[in-house]
Amino acid sequence: MKIDERARDNRQSDVEPSPSQDTLVTAHYGRLRRLCRLLLGDPQEAEDVVQEVFLKAHEAERLGRAPVEWGAWLTRVAVNACRDRRRAGGWMRFRLRSSRLEDVRLVAETPAPSDAAVSADTRRRIWVAFRTLPRRQQEVFALRYIEERPTPDVAAALGLSPGSVKRHLYRAVRRLRRALGDAR
Amino acid sequence: MSRCLSDDALMRSHAELASAAERAHLAGCAACTGRSRHLRRDLDLITGVLRDSREPQPRPVSAPRRWLPAAVGLATAALALLVWVEVAVWRAVTPVPPTMQAQEVAAILADVSASLFSVSGDPAAAAPTAAASEDAPPSIEAMARELDSTLTGGEP
Repeated sequence: MKIDERARDNRQSDVEPSPSQDTLVTAHYGRLRRLCRLLLGDPQEAEDVVQEVFLKAHEAERLGRAPVEWGAWLTRVAVNACRDRRRAGGWMRFRLRSSRLEDVRLVAETPAPSDAAVSADTRRRIWVAFRTLPRRQQEVFALRYIEERPTPDVAAALGLSPGSVKRHLYRAVRRLRRALGDAR
Repeated sequence: MSRCLSDDALMRSHAELASAAERAHLAGCAACTGRSRHLRRDLDLITGVLRDSREPQPRPVSAPRRWLPAAVGLATAALALLVWVEVAVWRAVTPVPPTMQAQEVAAILADVSASLFSVSGDPAAAAPTAAASEDAPPSIEAMARELDSTLTGGEP
């Protein structure tokens, strides 16, 4: 009887996510997708990584290994998954050839206000500068400024000391600002 | 500390790496505070672009095919080498026929001539061989007699 009950519980958890899972997805899906897109530069890969991260979260919860701080845990797992994807590297070759239909811009699409405010050349320079940053600096900058995580959280997520995070951040800011200065 | 902070120092300050003296100067200097605010705006702009704008796709640039002449040259050289090796091997493994002497050629030609122009179809009969020169060629009558004897079982 106990086994049957457990099987029924498992089936239920497979079919519909528990409220905590639902809350997790609602709270973190957007920011994790943005973070992964930033770190990987590929929307499809970012989507895959985020799915993978939530699967891991589900598995951790099912096994009773739920972390105290879900936000930091999810960020750490996402950053590590992005690193793994980057290391694998094969998908990079297909980046230019793989655009999903919904990611392809319409010709007459009105530019977003942020796009309109900044010149295309400045945007291009910033993106190029960001992509040429070392991987660690990209991660630190993304977590500290884009995700607006405090330095100790960034350090915990990346497995670095706070001092190291600050140094990486300083170097990243210097290079990005130089790119911005060149654009002016 | 009366001197204004450098841009590097301002960036260090934003990265929480500034020394206590630099922080103190920044708190009291209006010019440096203004520059720090300017840096903050730059960072906001960078952050905004990275957060909200779509990453521009790099244009696929066709790389100049500098390797093409080298590849063509190498391919030609490889082909020439292959042909040379083939010829060398062919020469090495093919037996050269022995050179015939003029007398042998003459003998063969005589045989051929005898075969072609013999009346009886027997080259030995027509050829001017040593055996033929000893015995006179059989006449028609002799040949007829020989035929009769063969047909009648030896009775003339």
